This record gives sequence, C-alpha cells and structure tokens, in this order.
Amino acid sequence: MNRKIGVYICECGPNISEKIDIDKVIEAVRFLNDIVVVERYKLLCSEDGKKYLTEQIKRYGLTHLIIAACSPRDHQLTFMEVCENAGINPYLFQLANIREQCVWITADKEEATKKAIRLTKAAIGRVRCHSPLEKKEMESNPDVLIVGGGIAGIETSLQLAHSDRKIYLVEKTASLGGLIKNFEKTYPEMHPCSISIQQKIETINKTNNIKIFTDSEVEDILGFFGNFEIKVKKNTNEKDSVSFNVGAVVFATGSTLFNPNKTTCYGYGKFDNVLTALEFEKMNLSGEIVLKNNKTPKSVAIIHCVGRTEKGYCSEICCMYSLKFARYLKDKIPDIKVFNFYSDLCIPGKTHQKFYEQTQGKNIDFIRAKNIEIAKKGEHLTITYNDEKSGKNNYDVDMVILSPALEPTADTARLAEFTGISLGDGGFFAEEHEKLGPVSTSSQGVFIAGCSQGPKSIPDTIIQAEAVTGKILSSLIPGKKIEPEVKVSFISESFCIGCKTCLDVCSYGAITFNETKKVSVVNEVICRGCGNCVAACPSGAITLKHFTFNQIYQELKAAIQ
Amino acid sequence: MKDTQSNSDILVIGAGIAGIEASLMLSKSDRKVHLVEKTSYTGGTTIKFEDVFSNMECSTCMVAPIQQELLQDKNINLLTLAEVEDVQGSFGNFIVKIHQKARYVDMKNCIGCNACFEPCPVRLKNEFEEGLSERKAIYVPCAGALPNVPMIDTEHCLRFNGKDCHACQEVCMFEAIDFNQKDEQITLTIGAIIVATGYTTFDSRQTPQYGYGKIDDVYTAFEFERLYASNGPTEGKILLKNGKTPKSAALIHCVGRNIKGYCSSVCCMYSLKFNHYLTLKIPEIKISEFYTDLCIPGKSHQKFYEKIRETGTKLIRASDIEITKQGQGIVIKYNDERGKKNSTTVDMVILAPAIVPNGDASKLAKILGVTIDEYGFFKEENQNVSSVVTSKPGVFIVGCSQGPKNIQESVSQAAASVGKILSTY
Repeated sequence: MNRKIGVYICECGPNISEKIDIDKVIEAVRFLNDIVVVERYKLLCSEDGKKYLTEQIKRYGLTHLIIAACSPRDHQLTFMEVCENAGINPYLFQLANIREQCVWITADKEEATKKAIRLTKAAIGRVRCHSPLEKKEMESNPDVLIVGGGIAGIETSLQLAHSDRKIYLVEKTASLGGLIKNFEKTYPEMHPCSISIQQKIETINKTNNIKIFTDSEVEDILGFFGNFEIKVKKNTNEKDSVSFNVGAVVFATGSTLFNPNKTTCYGYGKFDNVLTALEFEKMNLSGEIVLKNNKTPKSVAIIHCVGRTEKGYCSEICCMYSLKFARYLKDKIPDIKVFNFYSDLCIPGKTHQKFYEQTQGKNIDFIRAKNIEIAKKGEHLTITYNDEKSGKNNYDVDMVILSPALEPTADTARLAEFTGISLGDGGFFAEEHEKLGPVSTSSQGVFIAGCSQGPKSIPDTIIQAEAVTGKILSSLIPGKKIEPEVKVSFISESFCIGCKTCLDVCSYGAITFNETKKVSVVNEVICRGCGNCVAACPSGAITLKHFTFNQIYQELKAAIQ
Repeated sequence: MKDTQSNSDILVIGAGIAGIEASLMLSKSDRKVHLVEKTSYTGGTTIKFEDVFSNMECSTCMVAPIQQELLQDKNINLLTLAEVEDVQGSFGNFIVKIHQKARYVDMKNCIGCNACFEPCPVRLKNEFEEGLSERKAIYVPCAGALPNVPMIDTEHCLRFNGKDCHACQEVCMFEAIDFNQKDEQITLTIGAIIVATGYTTFDSRQTPQYGYGKIDDVYTAFEFERLYASNGPTEGKILLKNGKTPKSAALIHCVGRNIKGYCSSVCCMYSLKFNHYLTLKIPEIKISEFYTDLCIPGKSHQKFYEKIRETGTKLIRASDIEITKQGQGIVIKYNDERGKKNSTTVDMVILAPAIVPNGDASKLAKILGVTIDEYGFFKEENQNVSSVVTSKPGVFIVGCSQGPKNIQESVSQAAASVGKILSTY
C-alpha cells in the first residue's frame, strides 16, 4: 500500500508551543518514510482546526493521520470524526499525547521536546501498521427470556411486555409468586403483600405477549446479545421441550434460606416449635399462630443472624423481618412476650429505625447475645446465651423462630455456566461492576435482578427489576441494529495448537473450540477486545485487532530508538 | 400516558453518579436529555472520594470515563451552574424554567490549561476541599474536574466588585474569559423529570460532644476524604494541623444518628474504608473505631470488615462518647459494651456524620410539586410499588435524594427510573 502520512502538531495555544520546540519535532519526523506533510497549527480541536485538517487531508490525499496534541481522552473521538468525514478510515489515525505526557509533567523544555519527538515517532511507527477496521451492524431479536417467577421476574415481565416485544417467563415451581407470596405483610408500612402479589399474577396472566412456563426449567442457552437460542423443558415431562429465540436473558432466580440443620445449636429439626422464618410466615398467613400441641404460645424468641457466620455475610433483611414477626405476634396474640436475640441491629435506610422504635416496647425485648443454644425443657424451649456483659443467661419460651441467612438458589451455578458469567461473593451471580453495573453481567445481554445478585429487600428487588427494564429498553430496541465491538481478537487456525488456554481466560465466553478442526474460534460479536486471550496464548496464535504484535512492536521500537 | 402529543425529552436534575447514569442510558435510547447541575462540575460527591468500598477501586478512575462520555454525548445538553426555577404542566408536557448562571469562561474556547489561576489576586477557601486549601476567584474545584473549564466567582472577583482587574483575561491565549456573559433564563418543554440531587452530611457542630469545630484534628468524613485524596489539599498525605503524622486515630460512627432518627446505611462501611486508608498510609498507626451497631449488609461487605479486623484495629462498641482536648492529645471518653466508663487518647478523630438531604431539596420539591418525607428526603409514593416513583406522575426520584444509599443502589435507582420512563412512553 502506498502510504501518505500527514503529521499535525497542535500548539494548543501557548500550552504546547511555549513548552516544546515544535520546529525541532517537525525537523525530527519530516524525512521519515511515507511522511508527505508535517505542519503545526494553533488549535486543532477548534472548528477552524477541524476544517483545516479536512482540507489538508484532501489536498495531500492523505491515507493516514497523526496528531500530536492532548490526551486521547479529550479529543480522540474529535479527530476520528474528522477522519471519517474526510474519507480516511478512523482507525488509520493515531494521537500522540505531547501535552499531558510531555509539557504538563516537566518545566524542562529540552526534555519535553525530546519526549515529544519520541512519542510522535512512536505514533508514526504504529500507524504504518494500522489496518482499516469497519463497524459492523447486526439484526437483533427484541424478545426477552426471564428465568424465575418471583417478584423480580414478575416486575421485569410486566414492565417489559409491550406490543413489539415478547416475554418468556420460566418458573420451575407450579406457580408464580416466589417466596413473597407467603408473606402476609411487608415492612415497614405493613402493607398487605400476598394479596398484592396475587393481583400482579392476575395482571401477568392477562397480559398479551407474556408466555408463562411453570414447572419448567431452562435447559440450554446458546448465542449472544441480540440472538440467544433458548431451550426450555417441562419438569413434569422430560420429552416436552420447546425452543425459541430471544435477544436478552434475565436471571431472577431469587434466593433460598440457609438450612439451620447445619448448625446444631438451634435444635432445628430436633425440637418441636423451632421454626424457620419462612415456616413462620406461612403459619402466620394461614391465620393462626399455634404450637404443635395447638395451644397459643405465650412467649416467643426470634433468633437473628442464623447462619451468618457460616455464610460470611450479613443478609440485610433479617433484622427488619424479625421486627415484622414481632408485630405479627403482637397483632395476633396481644399479651405475648417476644425476645429478639441479635448481634448487630442492621436497619439501614430512612424508614427502618422508626419501625424499630415503634416495635420496641411493652413485652418486645431486644437482647444482644452471643453463643446462643437451644435446649428442650419439658413443654418449653430454653435459650442459653452470653449477654453483653459476657454473663451466662437463659430464658424459657414456647416457640423459637430462626432468621436464617439468604443464599442463592440451586440453579444459580448451572445458569451461570450456560451463559459464561461468574459467581461472586456468597455464590450469588457476579454483577458486571460492583458500583456501575449492578444488574448487568460480563456476558452482554445477560442481566440479573433481585436476590440472585445478593440479599436484598422487596423495594430493592423491584428497583433492580426496573433497572434491568431500563437496560434492556435502552440497548435492545425493536428494529434497531446493534453494533458489536470493532477491536476484537482473532485466532489463526494454522498457529493454534488447540490447548484451550484461551477458553479459560475469556471472561465473556467469546471463545469456543472447534472439535473437528481442533482449534479455538472467537465469536466476534461477543468479544469485547480485552486482550486476555492474546496474552495467555502460548503459541502466539491470537491477535487483537488494532493492538497487533507488530503495531505495538513498531510503536515501541520507534519510541526507544 | 400514551398521549401522542407527549414530549420525549427528559430533564435530569443533578449530575452526580445517578444523574450521569440516567442521562447516558436515556441518550442510548435516542432520547434528548437536559442535564441540569447547580455546580460548575459533574460527578457529584463521588469525585470527592479517593477510593470506593468495598473493592477499593479508585473513584476518579471509575467515574472519569462516564463523565467524559457524558460531555461527548450529542443527545445530552449539560447545563452547569444551573437551577430549576419553575415547573408547570404534567407528565408528557412539562414546561421548565431554568436559571443558568454565567460562568464568564467560554466553554468552547477554553482548553483547560489553568493558566488563568495564577495571576488572580484573590485567595479564598476552597469549598470543594472543605476549606482545607485555597482557591482563586477563577477556579476549578479540584484537579481533574470535568468539564475542565474554570468559573469566575463573581462574589469575590475584583472586577465584579468595582475594581479594574483583567489579570485572568490577559493571560488567556484563547479569548476564553468573557466578562460580558450574562445569566440566562432557559425555557424547555420536556416529558419527564428525574431528580438526582444527592445528599450532604449532617453538620457535626450540632453534636458538640464530639468537639468538631472546637478541637483541631477532629475531622468530618468529607474532610478526611479530601485529606486522603491524591488530588486533594495535601496530595494524599494524612497530616495533623501541626504538620506531623498522627500516631493514633479514632473513628466515630453514627454522628447525628440519634438526632436524625435513622441509620444512614453507608457510614459503617466508609469508616472501615477510612481505617484501611489510615493503615495503608501510616502502617504503624493505632486505630480505635467506635460504633454502636455494625451495619454492613450485603454479600461483599463483611469480607471487607473481616480484613480490617485482622489488622489489629480496636473495634469498640460504645455509647455516651465525649471528646475533649487535653494537652497535646484528644481524649475520648465513652461507656463500653458492659456499661463501664473508659477512655483513650488519640492524635486525630474522624467523624462519620449522617447522610442528610441537600439544603435546597424542600425548595425544589415545592417547585416540582412532589412531597418531602419527615426527614427531608424526596418521598416515594409507595416503596413496594417502586421507590423511584413520586406522587406526581412523570417526576422520578433517584439516588440519595430519595434516602441514604450506596453507589450501587444509586446507580440501580437511576437505571430503574429510565426503565420506568422507557416502559411508559
């Protein structure tokens, strides 16, 4: 290829021109191969500057462009746009940062000039090896698969369902509603819960475009953002499976309770009248709180933090729902005595402390306790514990309610494997970014909502369902094509030795193994161009476009020569 | 709300992390966004932090790329130094009046070289740095602020106070200083409004028992964040007022919790982060951390707490804390877990004050016609329906304007409000 490279040095007003001898830079690169023009200009990013560049590109018939100016963070896009408008492929351009990396780090003009020359030469060395890259566009399917029919799945389905988008909602049990259909009320307002979830289920049943599969499980997920192939099978009939395509997948598989059987100290499963939180919610919803012998309990102990030590995290909602239980008990059995055994009260947020203060009081006691053990004593249950003053103490009660930690459901690991996403702390789905990407994952188009991402309250679960809705509605728009990453990696068939190292290091599930040819293959639509596979490949078979070995080598060579 | 006459443009108030997230998402779905920010910069309070818990990622490195994306986004009209003055109409058709103060520096011409600061003769306390360093009358709040364009503080600029000073204009090579700029009254028609006005912290002077404002080296959380920040007043050196390195420090949780009546949800975690900051910079420092109940909810936070505990830091469950100056040291008297009186002496104290609504929240609520709750935060209609929906259709609340929360929850709410808007119309 006959290259015609133009080099333009921005004075950036006095910023660069006063601190670098620009003429020396021009002198140093003027006679390098392929350079047809080297010029200085007062401010290239200005409107006049952009016009000037466009004219220069046309006048000299430039094929490649070098700008020596500021940080790519400021104006890389500006100049790539100039290239595009002037008819040069924007990837045949390179920016040398001679402001932030030269003049703004030293007052020594000579040093700054020397480094500016090196950086400009490096950019020239690199751009010579650039290849044009083209943006790709892909048709996408706007339909969405939602796994899990609890509150997160229901909310996401209702918000996403629209005439031009079909929703497939897969629930492994026989009915929708998840855990919360067992709750009579929600804290802190004590609003009716099981009734409102029933109403939502009715709405979902009536909504066109939501196809519900109960007693069903996802058997396979193949493909990528915009084009997933899904296989769902009925639990009741092995052979009964359906396939369909969607553009995005939402995991709303919720959580389950830590099994208190795993700790012997609470006597769960051994003694009558020791219940888990969920068992108590169900009993309360049925209308009557009674002991095994059908008598009404006179005293109840609620034990917080069951399984917290084993799991290694605080499940966030247990303190609050334990307070709610105290309210249930007081409402139904006004003269009952309730003891809350807790370690640290975790009641974050603007409304919760008030709820606590209003719950506290007559016959509802809070005891900060350690080393709790429960034993049977005649009709009663004896709770032995160490109080704050480290004194041993005990109480006799009729009933014990355990508040166990939340843990991910059994499907979590299986679904993560289907889609190549990883599991994070506590075995919950790992979000794409702890702060900025709470509902997206490392696999584009695969989203997580609710307790499958980590323990959370009902309002926070609904927020995540709405957040997923926002993410999908703003990225998967019916009729709009999606643009995959341009700078992706590719694997040379002849160099690949089939060791599969790259499969392990790819966080996006973009690489598959072709068993017939015994080579790894990159799916360019999934690849995000992180370069992990390039670094890991022992046979040098993988290249990342725009960061090829030769491009980096020539850049470095020119910089240090 | 499927009126064909609806305006699809969105107004976002507040360019902190929640406002930025909402704006970028809306832009991706081809909505025009007007983003109104009352300060001269984007990034809100998140850019005051050096690192964020619990992954200890560099905060600026996390936010800068999305700030940059925001500035380059053609669908987003960022209005800095601007405040909403009036809102009329209803969901789908709001008419909004915005007052935009003149920056007196041309955003197009200025290249952010900062040459104008040096010649300015006025020296003032830098509010962004919690008064720990000085700024000029023409200034950016901190290095790396985006947009990287200074503003002129007309209250203190000599020229705006009857003196004949052109010092900044004379050095500017880009003709960016424009004393003739005027405040602007902008009227927009938009379809929906997202409120993302963030928070501030409880004024620690209201709890005199902690000695803040009276005793040197008693710092608030924001002050300490800036003291630790590599782009802050000491470039990240933790120093006492006398210039020495502290040998011991105390962290006090729950400052103002009793007065406000709620747990601010993030203070335990950020105090543990401060603990980490201290041992990172001063490995031999002795730290006592005073708390009431440890509130570290969620799958990742306890792990962080356990790591801190391994460093040998003293974690003390305490009540009735009183801080006084005695000689060179700061004495902390407290009742321990067993109710026994105890005390310890340290060089430095860092307070963790409650998260409170921004001062102008109630004024804005009145303009928008939405309710404020008993704590002064914007009130959601019903958190079991959606905590971002207000009693006024078309007005959504996100982030700490709705209540204390961490960055992840703020970002989730921002995305949720976008979900609400895009699924409605």
